[in-house]
Amino acid sequence: MRAILVCFVLLLSGCAQANGADNQRPALELTGRVVDAAEILTPQFEDQLTTRLAELEAETKVQLVVAATPDLKGHDISDYSFELANAWGIGSKERNDGLMVLVAPKERKVRIEVGLGLEASVKDEEAAKIVEEAIIPAFQNGDFEKGISRGVDRLIIEVSPAQLKEAA
Amino acid sequence: MNFTSFKRAVIVAAVSLGLASCGINSVPTAEENAKAKWADVEAQFQRRANLIPNLAEVAKGAAENERNILTEVTEARAKATSINVTADDLGDATKMGELAAAQGQMSQGIGRLLASFEAYPNITSTQGYLTLQSQLEGTENRIAVALRDYNEAVRNYNTTIRTFPDTIGANIIHGAEPLVPYKATTEGAEEAPTLDMTSE
Repeated sequence: MRAILVCFVLLLSGCAQANGADNQRPALELTGRVVDAAEILTPQFEDQLTTRLAELEAETKVQLVVAATPDLKGHDISDYSFELANAWGIGSKERNDGLMVLVAPKERKVRIEVGLGLEASVKDEEAAKIVEEAIIPAFQNGDFEKGISRGVDRLIIEVSPAQLKEAA
Repeated sequence: MNFTSFKRAVIVAAVSLGLASCGINSVPTAEENAKAKWADVEAQFQRRANLIPNLAEVAKGAAENERNILTEVTEARAKATSINVTADDLGDATKMGELAAAQGQMSQGIGRLLASFEAYPNITSTQGYLTLQSQLEGTENRIAVALRDYNEAVRNYNTTIRTFPDTIGANIIHGAEPLVPYKATTEGAEEAPTLDMTSE
């Protein structure tokens, strides 16, 4: 009997080894709702934006994070933002309702990353329109804060309940 | 609880845990996971195929060159649709390779079409075009992600059936065969980019 038990213990220990997960550390540290690692925003703007994003979560449960990265380390912005948003685990794990606006000023790229659970609220073409119409024109004038602010406004409208969307 | 029943409980727990660790459960779990991930891949392929008619509509306004590329795309689409890789075919390397070739051809054709439309401001400035372009790009991204997830699930399954102790159950009880990862025809597209995600 004892021999059998020892055998099981060995099997179990083999199992535990095989299941060891490799945790990748995210490229940037998630320090809050606004992560300005590229240092393009003023502290006042960051504070205002953080308050708006906290209100958004209180009203709709949607977590929206705005991030600015110093560089993409040679990667495509779609890969970079996808990996970053997943590594941070933005949004609820059950609802997959995370949203991220990623700005890479050095590469002159911006991207809206949409969680699976929000794909119906923020469709590809809607996200593209927000980038084209609200964000890029301001960025081209060198006004990151205005671009981000207008982009976030539009995203909030997309994820807010229908009656809000009509009023806006 | 007296001593005997306690001892029995321990043995039952040990036996069930022991069985779990020799592949009785882990092998089918890993297999079902891979099949589920493949269903996601199929759904995204379908999503892309569904966008081709819209692309054809746009190409009407362009020149012969674009219509030729479009013909390639629609042919690749027909080919890809005719190769039906179901969850039971995931061990079939030939079928998988044919599908990857057809899907890859379609993907490249779409990319070339979108690039050559750039020469037509009257096309690219329309709202409909922006919509289609973002949908196609979004779908390409989703396909890439779904394929990475599938390949990861396959790697996990293949490791499970070859590694002790799960290999015991895999061989004796399940007769498990390895699954085939999806190899995209464009270099490296099926692999997750090795992002150095460690902060400096």
